[in-house]
Amino acid sequence: MIQNLPWLFLLLPLAIAAINWLCFSKCPRTAATFSTLSAIATFVMCVAYLMGWQTGTPDTYTWMPTILEGMPSLSVGLLMDPLAMRMMLVVTGIGMLVHIFSIGYMKGDDSNLSRYFAGLSIFMFSMTMIVLADNLAMTFIGWEMVGFSSYLLIGHWFHKDSAADAAKKAFITNRVGDFGFLIGILLTLAVFGTLSFGEMGGKAAAIAPAVLTATVIALFCGAVGKSAQFPLHVWLPDAMEGPTPVSALIHAATMVAAGVYMMVRLQVSMGEAAFTDTACTVIATVGAITAVLAALMAVQQDDIKRVLAYSTLSQLGYMIMAVGLLAGEAAMYHLYTHAWFKALLFLGAGAIIVRCHHEQDIWKMGGLSKRMPLTVICFLMGTAALIAIPGFSGFFSKEAILDAALAKNPTFFWVGAGVAALTTFYMARLCLVAFWGPARAHGAAEAKEAGPTMLLPLLILAVMAIISGYGFVAESLVPYEGFHAHGFALGLPFYVSMGSLVVGLLLAYVIYGFGKRTQDPLAGNALSTALRKRLYIDDIYDKWIIGGIQGTLARAIELTDNAGVRGIGTLGTAWLIGKFGKLLTWFQGGVLRRYAVVAALGALIFLFLIATTTFTH
Amino acid sequence: MTNDNVSVLYTWGQFAPEFALVALAVLILMADCFTRLPKRVYAITAAIGAVICAYFMNTEAYYSPFGMIACLATALVLLLAYDYHKVACASIGGGDTEEGTTELYSLLLIACAGICCLSVARDIIMLFVSLEVVTLSSYVMAGYFRRNQGSIEAGVKYLVLGALSTGLLVFGAAWYYGTTGTFALHPGLLADMFARQSVEFQTGFYLSIGLLLLGAFFKAGAAPMQIWIPDVYQGSPTPVSAFLAVASKAAGFAVLVAIVMPFARLYNLFPDKVAVIVSGIAVAAAATLLVGNLGAISQNNAKRLLGYSSIGQAGFILVFFTNIAANNTVQCVTSYLVAYMLATVAAFFAIAMVRTQRGSEEISAFRGLGKTNPRTAFLITVAFASLAGVPLTYGFMVKYYSFEAFVEAMQYQSGLIWLLPFMIVGAAAGFYYYFKVLREMYWEKPQEGDVTLQVPVVTAAVLTGCAIAIIWLGTAPLVFIPN
Repeated sequence: MIQNLPWLFLLLPLAIAAINWLCFSKCPRTAATFSTLSAIATFVMCVAYLMGWQTGTPDTYTWMPTILEGMPSLSVGLLMDPLAMRMMLVVTGIGMLVHIFSIGYMKGDDSNLSRYFAGLSIFMFSMTMIVLADNLAMTFIGWEMVGFSSYLLIGHWFHKDSAADAAKKAFITNRVGDFGFLIGILLTLAVFGTLSFGEMGGKAAAIAPAVLTATVIALFCGAVGKSAQFPLHVWLPDAMEGPTPVSALIHAATMVAAGVYMMVRLQVSMGEAAFTDTACTVIATVGAITAVLAALMAVQQDDIKRVLAYSTLSQLGYMIMAVGLLAGEAAMYHLYTHAWFKALLFLGAGAIIVRCHHEQDIWKMGGLSKRMPLTVICFLMGTAALIAIPGFSGFFSKEAILDAALAKNPTFFWVGAGVAALTTFYMARLCLVAFWGPARAHGAAEAKEAGPTMLLPLLILAVMAIISGYGFVAESLVPYEGFHAHGFALGLPFYVSMGSLVVGLLLAYVIYGFGKRTQDPLAGNALSTALRKRLYIDDIYDKWIIGGIQGTLARAIELTDNAGVRGIGTLGTAWLIGKFGKLLTWFQGGVLRRYAVVAALGALIFLFLIATTTFTH
Repeated sequence: MTNDNVSVLYTWGQFAPEFALVALAVLILMADCFTRLPKRVYAITAAIGAVICAYFMNTEAYYSPFGMIACLATALVLLLAYDYHKVACASIGGGDTEEGTTELYSLLLIACAGICCLSVARDIIMLFVSLEVVTLSSYVMAGYFRRNQGSIEAGVKYLVLGALSTGLLVFGAAWYYGTTGTFALHPGLLADMFARQSVEFQTGFYLSIGLLLLGAFFKAGAAPMQIWIPDVYQGSPTPVSAFLAVASKAAGFAVLVAIVMPFARLYNLFPDKVAVIVSGIAVAAAATLLVGNLGAISQNNAKRLLGYSSIGQAGFILVFFTNIAANNTVQCVTSYLVAYMLATVAAFFAIAMVRTQRGSEEISAFRGLGKTNPRTAFLITVAFASLAGVPLTYGFMVKYYSFEAFVEAMQYQSGLIWLLPFMIVGAAAGFYYYFKVLREMYWEKPQEGDVTLQVPVVTAAVLTGCAIAIIWLGTAPLVFIPN
């Protein structure tokens, strides 16, 4: 019995979500308490397991055990290796803080809070499903479930058209990637003969490289969708329509990192041999393109959350690039530090937004360092980690990725260094404009320090943003089996990243000063417009893919569907079978004599067949 | 073992629960004569007695699960009779008089005792006698609502067609004795038969088995002997229909198991000869699947629909007998019957409730229940979803097992592949006709004057219990396997 305790990781949030939805839809406070308690409970359990608490191997649940030999059956099991359990710590830890933060953030919001907290709980359930999955099918179920909960939470304020549209966009864009993922899972089943992570090892050597490449790239499609990589990155900035704590939890720290986690999980269980050179090049290139494009777009965003969203995209690009460079360790390292400091940045932004009367434009802020100093200090800690100032967590993990890139392929190293400079620039721009100088709007002038439920998570996260990269902490917490803190040495990577840091900071200071500008001096030209319009990628999708291809193709498909599938296929068959059934009921018309005759005739035929052994001759 | 001596095959002790059932039936009759208790008390007493007997049913014996199923089904049917009391009074004595309702409960108990004996029968005499106990009680019960023309018609039809089937069974028994010189059903004996080379003897033997099978098909509701089912189910009092649908069907499969399973152990020795019987059952299964599932499509009466459903489900159970070489056939049949019982009993409870309060047994009488009684509607949905075989219900699991057994049977007798389309069409059609009820409940609006149904306590309890069992067994945490 006790060995099944880890199932609570899954069942507790699920049960709480159901209870909140069904029983407490009118009692927001109870719902919030239950959801928060469940998040705290799972976090405590996770910590206990990481401290070495043992309860034995949890049972595997098989819904339909197959009697036949050699048929793979679908099962749900928990894989509790360090990679999974430490990832759980990130998920439950940030999840818990976001729950607590949400209580303060959503206070006074007149939307249905029970729905909100039920959504958070169902997200915790889904994310746990991905993290603890012991086979790809289970991962896929969790994958779809996080998509669903993300849809619910982005569209939490569904009366706003923009939120409803963003929710739809996120869901549909993800479905495109998931389609590839599903193909990848089926390919895996076909070539590896199993979906279980535990049984994939060592089989890659016997498989043709072309098939392996196809499998890995198809699986990677899932990561492209979920981790918002180019060309499916378009949903993430729009997802900022959701409440800010949701953005922190789902669209910065955990769900969007699931793609990276999944790829590293595959790398570990399939073995690096499964990742052929072609596949690796594709993956690393997609990551690098995303990192560059997102960093460029971030430079000209005015919405504080959007700047952070593009920065998330760009950092995810880093991680995917590391996956493609077969540096899973570095990818998970960066995933882990990024989760803490990006959650901090988002929650800090959330606190600022609330205190500025829901103003998100940095040009309408200013002077916040005086009015909410603690929040701003926390935010600056997060910024320092993100732009990789030596000594902060982000520095160590970014260094790990740059080292790996230099060792494998210097092109990616230089791309990474360039992106680092851009990152420094746009984050410095954000801070300088929003926190210094005079208040440029009514909301910012009245801003005051955030309340305790908001400040507490910020402080904890700020501590994590500083210390999580150091040797001892990292070695016991980074989600990777046998992780070793990166041996830090002065060398080319260090000098280059210092260089990009200084260049970014200097440029930002020269252009923006300490909040002396009232509008962006870089705006107004064609390049700036293009960056603001996200390089027109969304417009191209709207016009060509959605309007053009999908419009015409959909019409043709609808025609075949209506005439062929629905008309002849479904309705026709149904009509035919219905008629046939009617025929069969003819001798069931109620006349007893007819019954006797039919039964006797049937019996005669049956006896004739059996007595003359007609069947077997 | 060619010894016919009954005392070798059975012991007195093993029939203790059956004796207890009959004794209880007599006691209830006596009590009804000499005391003035409300009659519904006897229904509850009988139900409790049946449950206790189910508990004491000897589970060691080879074929016993059917006795237990029959006892539980009878208990549920008695509870249904308890809730159906008002209609029963009006249809038996007329008006509010309770006179004459108790005998139904006694008859149910006696029929149940018959099924219990049947399930341990190892020879044809026992088989025949206990089967007739069930059948004779059923004739009376089917026509029990004497003020209801449909009920009387059902009784007569059942009697006439039942006579036909009994005739075939006895004829089969005579052939069996003629060819083998014994009434015992035993693998060793059958091996002797197969070992004989004479063609005449073997034809006679196959003929006898065929006739016996037809007798079993009649009870089980399998083609070509399914012909009585729709009319009798529709006309009989609802509790009796439920009894015929569940307990009596279990009796039919008990007979089938008693006749067919002795052949299972001979598969390795005489694969060709056992294959004849298996193929015969496969043909019957195909016809049953077709008639039951396609015939159900055009039905509008809920009880008649369940009649066809009972035929259709019997087809899926027959498929298990194509795989008698596997050693789990009896367990599979039992599981299927349990799944079928849980859902069908719940469905009959729902029909009885709707009939009592809306006065109609048409499917359209379920209209708008999703609006007026959302909770009850959900429970009914679970029952019909299980009958249709929706995943996460027990009905899905057992239907899946049926397909799996078929796939396994292919390994022994690949020629049976032609049965597969029948199974697929049957399973697909099920979704259509069972969902007719769900469509009435959720898609149709309640008409004017449709008030919220008062759900009787017993009905609510049984519906809830069945729904929980269906989902629990369907998601089956019982199959947690340590890794």
